[in-house]
Amino acid sequence: MKVEFTPEQEALRTELRAYFKELMTPELTAECNRDMGEGGGPLWREALLKMGKDGWIGVGWPKELGGKGLSPIEQFIFVEEIMRAGYPFPFLTTESVGPQLAEHGNAWQKANIVPKILSGECLIAIGYSEPGAGTDLARLKTTAVKEGDEWVINGQKMWTSLAHFCDYVWLACRTDQNAEKPHKGISMFLVPTSDPGWSSTPVVTLGGVRTNATYYDNIRVNDDALVGELNKGWKLITGQLNRERLSLVNCGPTQQLFNGVVKWAQETELPEGGKLIDQPWVQMNLAKVRAGVEALKLVCYKQAWAMTEGNLEMADASAAKVYGSEFFIEVYRALGEVMEQMSLVSEHSPQAQEHAARVERLYRTASIITFGGGTNEIQRDIISAAGLWMPRAAR
Amino acid sequence: MNFGFSEEQREVQNLARQIFTDLVSPEKLKASDDYAGERFDEALWGKLAEAGLLGVALEEQYAGMGFGFTELALLVEEVGRSIAPAPVIPNLVSGALPVQRFGTDEQKQRLLPGVAEGKLMLTAALMEKHNENPASPRLTTAVAKDGGYSVSGTKLCVPFAHRAERMIVSAKTDNGVIALLVDPKADGVTLNEMKVTTYEPQYEVALKDVSVAAEDVLAGADKGAEVMQWLTEHTTAALCAHQVGVTDCAMRMTASYTAERKQFGVPVATFQAVGHRAANCFIDVECLRLNTYQAVSRLAGGHNATNEVQIAKIWAGDVGHRVSYASQHLHGGMGIDRDYPLWRYCTWMRHNEMMLGSSAKNLAALGKRIAAGEAYCQ
Ligand SMILES: Cc1cc2nc3c(=O)[nH]c(=O)nc-3n(C[C@H](O)[C@H](O)[C@H](O)COP(=O)(O)OP(=O)(O)OC[C@H]3O[C@@H](n4cnc5c(N)ncnc54)[C@H](O)[C@@H]3O)c2cc1C
Repeated sequence: MKVEFTPEQEALRTELRAYFKELMTPELTAECNRDMGEGGGPLWREALLKMGKDGWIGVGWPKELGGKGLSPIEQFIFVEEIMRAGYPFPFLTTESVGPQLAEHGNAWQKANIVPKILSGECLIAIGYSEPGAGTDLARLKTTAVKEGDEWVINGQKMWTSLAHFCDYVWLACRTDQNAEKPHKGISMFLVPTSDPGWSSTPVVTLGGVRTNATYYDNIRVNDDALVGELNKGWKLITGQLNRERLSLVNCGPTQQLFNGVVKWAQETELPEGGKLIDQPWVQMNLAKVRAGVEALKLVCYKQAWAMTEGNLEMADASAAKVYGSEFFIEVYRALGEVMEQMSLVSEHSPQAQEHAARVERLYRTASIITFGGGTNEIQRDIISAAGLWMPRAAR
Repeated sequence: MNFGFSEEQREVQNLARQIFTDLVSPEKLKASDDYAGERFDEALWGKLAEAGLLGVALEEQYAGMGFGFTELALLVEEVGRSIAPAPVIPNLVSGALPVQRFGTDEQKQRLLPGVAEGKLMLTAALMEKHNENPASPRLTTAVAKDGGYSVSGTKLCVPFAHRAERMIVSAKTDNGVIALLVDPKADGVTLNEMKVTTYEPQYEVALKDVSVAAEDVLAGADKGAEVMQWLTEHTTAALCAHQVGVTDCAMRMTASYTAERKQFGVPVATFQAVGHRAANCFIDVECLRLNTYQAVSRLAGGHNATNEVQIAKIWAGDVGHRVSYASQHLHGGMGIDRDYPLWRYCTWMRHNEMMLGSSAKNLAALGKRIAAGEAYCQ
């Protein structure tokens, strides 16, 4: 047991921090802010390609797959640093779908999609949810029907985030209407958004973030598009979600925000004299955030380490997701309180303050991951069953 | 970054767990409830000595196993898991470790082999009334005398003072804080029994012009505060490790009980509200465990760990509080029935929560460090 980075890992962190400092030009930062921290703009794409060319996207991937051959810990350090730098990293593609394709994809996918993910040329959206299938995802209705050598896909997905600028949708389809259980009749496909039968309409959320309703109208694909085995899609879905969870609760941005607010509170003068940070209640709020973010950091590192060892426990992955998602909400509250009413003044206002305006947006986006990425109720079900061996009610 | 245990660490864990499983039982613990008997098990203590565990972090030249603080903390965690009546923290962490680290060769030769062999006990007097910072004693003072010191003052809640060969006592002098090895049987020392929530033997130690010879000075005024800070951080981390064991066991007891207990024709664990409250405990205990291991690992590596220890103690307080009441609640009446083992765990969760600073106090201290620019996220 040694809960500290090796000198090599420290060096990697320092190198990455300098790299991203240079990468994040004021123009790119402005574009990312405009795009609500979602990315997709021209400078954002250019930066992603550069990272791909410099070999960073696959830093923790095996060399055979075109990576640098380091471990998931280094991969996590990379993602932590990039998120810290404020770059909206397409982690769904690189950290969750990518590894699933590398492990379970067919020859065409391994030759054509995986390398492009690592070079920053291919972006993939997640198409699970439907108007009638949320937490109970296995009830999804979008179908893929075999006609000759082709699959014909029809249906509607909801909340297909990033799809409006992605190249593919990682799409869950029903392929067996008569399966003994609904989740045993689902298969995964990679569907190109360039297909004429594909369309999307925006759905705007409280945080200003755009997501999409997406439509699949007689889209025809061949077996190259089928991922893994027919009717075995459920395992791919849960595997992808397990990987996604770690990225969702990455501690980098919160650490950065905390440090920023501390510096700001140290410098901010009160009209009655003294600094904002001298006040006990301010120190108390900051200390609560600091103690909480330390736990989040360790929970994340432990998972990255467990992935390296090949023994990631389901209950631990769920615990990280629940803890992180609920902690973020408390962070935005506690830091918002420190910045008082300025934390309601938006970045579009001339009076805006940098960190306060960030919190103004973050508190509006914070709830997404308590129910998204597998709702916390289900995660807690998993924890009590898999982590504590408690029986659970039949569903 | 490595969260796994080495072969040796696993051996220490397994050995300790085996001994406590064999020798600690609710029936035996019952013997010291309400101070009916002393909360100390001689046979268990002998067994720990025989297995070498009392010397786990002592050097081989002092009859120890030669491992470090990490291995000792893993032993402490097992003490917590079984709430064994064994004063491992006062004796091995607060007592023996500082002697090994800061003592003279003569002091080490005189005291440490006896500790490893289970024949000699050490402890530390860490509390004064309204002052729980051992590195800054306010009610205990000393003046130089015959090459040593004469010390006066009162310490509270000193565990096992009656059995100790020496207790570490910090005192204020005109030149700074000193750390002394005081003989509880020396002239001028009065031990007054205190009754506390865990039934651990604890004493109010009154010192009146107690002479401490030069050979029993652990640290002079140039180093006393540093020694006491070191002792405090190690003891705090050990309390956190104890809390990991106690909370983990209480949580698992709750999981098994609710899986067995039926109401409305089904195990109560199948009610989602019950499962989720237990899941919250699981998340809490994991956060406590990781913060504790980080603090322990940094201390073991000789790194600065002030922030990490404070943060771990904040978690130890919060998690102890939450797991205690969640466990009691999810057991229903059984949780507080003295014929069922949970309630004793609750008293230890409270002990670990409060000793050497509660969550609130540590949050305030951490907040000060943040304000001073000493606790940025790295
Ligand atoms: C901004 C945003 C982005 C998203 N991005 C994507 C995406 O890219 N791809 C994608 O496929 N989906 C995406 N989603 C959808 C997201 O995954 C779903 O919102 C989520 O699965 C919950 O489904 P639901 O909204 O239908 O809520 P419901 O399933 O209707 O849940 C409502 C409430 O009931 C609770 N509940 C449901 N079942 C249980 C149960 N068994 N026990 C206890 N409580 C229960 C839930 O926890 C929740 O609190 C996104 C959503 C948003 C808002």
